[in-house]
Amino acid sequence: MNFDSYTIVVTGLGGQGLIRFLQILGNALMIKGYKVMTSETHGLSQRGGKVSCFLRFGNKLPAPIPMIGSADIILSLEESSILDVLYYAKPDKSTNLIISTYEKQQIDTKYPSLEYLLSVLYENSENIYFIPVSEIAVKHTGNLKAMNSVILGYILKFLPLDSNDLEESLIQHFSEKNLELNLKGFKEGQKLQSILSENE
Amino acid sequence: MSYDKIFKGKRGDEKFYLGNEAIVRGALESGIDVYTYYPGTPSSEVGETFMEIFKEVGMKWVERSINEKVAIEVAGAAYARGATVMVGMKNVGLNVASDPLFALATTRPKNKNSAMVILVADDPQQHSSAVEMDSRYFLKIFKIPALEPSNPQECLEFTKEAFKISRELKLPVILRTVTMISHARSNVIVGEIKPSGIRDDFNLSKEVNVALRLYFLELKEEHIYNRLNQALEISENSPLNKIENENIKNKFDLGIITSGVSYSYVGDTLDFLELEAPILKIGFINPLPERKIVVFLKQFKQIFVIEENDTYLETQILAIAHKNSLNVKIHGKDPFSYSKENKLLSIVGELNPTKIALALMKITDIKPKIDLNQISKKKYDTLARNPIMCPGCPHRTTGYALQKAIKKIKLISGKNIYFYQDIGCYTLLAFPPFSFANVKYCMGSSIALAQGVAQTSESFNIAIIGDGTFFHSGIPALLNGIYNKTPILVLILDNGWIGMTGQQPHPGSDTRYYKEGSSKKAINLEEFLNGTGANVNVIKHYENNDNEYFLKLSKLIYEKSLDVINNKNLHVIIIKDECIQKTIKRQAPVLRYIDNELCNNCGICYRKFLCPAIDISEELVYIDQNLCLGCGICEMICPNKAIHREEL
Repeated sequence: MNFDSYTIVVTGLGGQGLIRFLQILGNALMIKGYKVMTSETHGLSQRGGKVSCFLRFGNKLPAPIPMIGSADIILSLEESSILDVLYYAKPDKSTNLIISTYEKQQIDTKYPSLEYLLSVLYENSENIYFIPVSEIAVKHTGNLKAMNSVILGYILKFLPLDSNDLEESLIQHFSEKNLELNLKGFKEGQKLQSILSENE
Repeated sequence: MSYDKIFKGKRGDEKFYLGNEAIVRGALESGIDVYTYYPGTPSSEVGETFMEIFKEVGMKWVERSINEKVAIEVAGAAYARGATVMVGMKNVGLNVASDPLFALATTRPKNKNSAMVILVADDPQQHSSAVEMDSRYFLKIFKIPALEPSNPQECLEFTKEAFKISRELKLPVILRTVTMISHARSNVIVGEIKPSGIRDDFNLSKEVNVALRLYFLELKEEHIYNRLNQALEISENSPLNKIENENIKNKFDLGIITSGVSYSYVGDTLDFLELEAPILKIGFINPLPERKIVVFLKQFKQIFVIEENDTYLETQILAIAHKNSLNVKIHGKDPFSYSKENKLLSIVGELNPTKIALALMKITDIKPKIDLNQISKKKYDTLARNPIMCPGCPHRTTGYALQKAIKKIKLISGKNIYFYQDIGCYTLLAFPPFSFANVKYCMGSSIALAQGVAQTSESFNIAIIGDGTFFHSGIPALLNGIYNKTPILVLILDNGWIGMTGQQPHPGSDTRYYKEGSSKKAINLEEFLNGTGANVNVIKHYENNDNEYFLKLSKLIYEKSLDVINNKNLHVIIIKDECIQKTIKRQAPVLRYIDNELCNNCGICYRKFLCPAIDISEELVYIDQNLCLGCGICEMICPNKAIHREEL
């Protein structure tokens, strides 16, 4: 894997905690010695609206926005939202598409069908991972808020980071009240990684 | 938290800073005494961080001013008196602040420590602004120096440089950022915090501080031919204007001139195209270093100027090339053509590496391994999502009550009804199902807009404005309406805070509920308005949390509207209903649930009222307990009484 220049695209809905997610990940990568650049969307990203952010790192400082067709990972915190950023997938189909199975329906609007979603995803990648993030978070931590920590645990296997690196970062970013919950979610995410890997 | 993050750390430490946080650190490393601001995305975090830490770090004064004009004036006089000051605002804020800045730019403080930096954060693509504007043209009007960083590290360094230049020349210096710089987060190596050098034996002599013709034309001569001329010399010699890849030649005889965030895109794009080209990076964006630019232009047959938004650099570079009789083709956005077909880059919208790569491909005929054109042609059936108001947002309640009232008013009066919107979350009432917007411009404009139609037609006109915006710039327009006896209805949607930019307090906010509130005095909006002689009604939600609130609000709007129509009176209704994001921080929400035995799926709550926490699955309506914030309006509007409080 080439970590000289690595791009992660994160998409989801306003209020899903994308910004903190990027901070935790970016901080750990910086401590690991990488030049990191994230772009955040603030302000009028009301709860429910679409939000896309980028995290890029490598041995030289990347720009805050990547080129289309260049992402190493596209992470979607809401299932069909991945369609909004699919043009960042590499044409050689090597991009890892990590998709939360959480669906946010919208009244009187047709939600993209799973058949359609799968067909375009396979057009764009050979590495597609669906994760029931919210179910895992609720089942193992009792709180949906641990969702993003589950994903952090899961994507660890793609990144040049150890479990300790991200744990450190989680400790820095969460108050005592929420830390335990998120560490638990993080651990569950890592377990999930091994289960899926075995099945592969 | 901010104190540790921003203030702690010694020279050489590496931090993971937002561009805006790096600016704060840079100011603290410059001995800053005063920061004044009006919050606005993407500039807000700078002010909010200073507000949080200023007492601990020993600054003289920090304030969230009532608007940008006042912010500039408070800071301006502190600058005149010998303070090191900074003022922060978003792009459109500079429009509001521009009036005093004309005079201020020419003044020349006599105190050694005087230094002033003005942070202006532009927002290409208007991610969260009312308009897309390029504030750099103001630099030519004010005639002051300006710097533009291209990443968070430069945010820190350029802030320090800006203070240094201002202290030396006694000119205010603008620090211009854009969204992708202010809200980029990256590695930042910090320096040393510097203590303030402010003194109390200051000199406020009128000859250099009073804008009067008697002194000022002479001072303007000195401003332009001495101080600005010195600034030009600094710009010519500044390492902020630097040439990269100087000795590289490419077969296209092409050089690139760029600045700010575009510079970072250029680096990635050249790598992608496997093209090497010398780059002149302009960090000192006013005055431009003419001599340095000429030396650069002379080396090439073609130049590509890459900048966000308008052709600020390109127009000047074209002029420099002409003035120096240089025969070089200058590519860019072409300031003298408004034909879209021939543009390499558009003047509208935000740049990115893809757009720059496509433009460079046109100039050079390079065909990269990855076919960008093909990727950008792909279209997917994505789910369109409009930005929506939060669950429990009081504006939704107001919108729904207004909708009910309007129907009746139309029926009774037969009048055409028009709505004038302002800047805030309630702007979203412009979208269906409410569609309450006919004209909308900028902060504070709604009340005057309503007057323009009311005075020239027989229609009924309603201005919708938030409390924060009303304090910011709505007051003069309301007084204008009262004075002229204009028959309009003004709805002040008083949610208690500056909601959209992060629930910051304003002069009317409840001082009990924010950190620095103990040192503030809240202005009572009702008493203030009663003093103007306007007809004022107040309706409160949270303080009288009864199930009749919604009906009472709708009835009040209806009655006062009829008075405006029939008796030509101006009416103001203050709707006091707090921003739910603020309420839930103080009290746990009482969640609601739906009794599906009683619910007949009429759709009022999720389709007409449009609460995002209410969903439907296989014909059963339910409340998403992860989204519900407990406002309880659904319980009031449900015709079947099927919505109840959470059982404890």
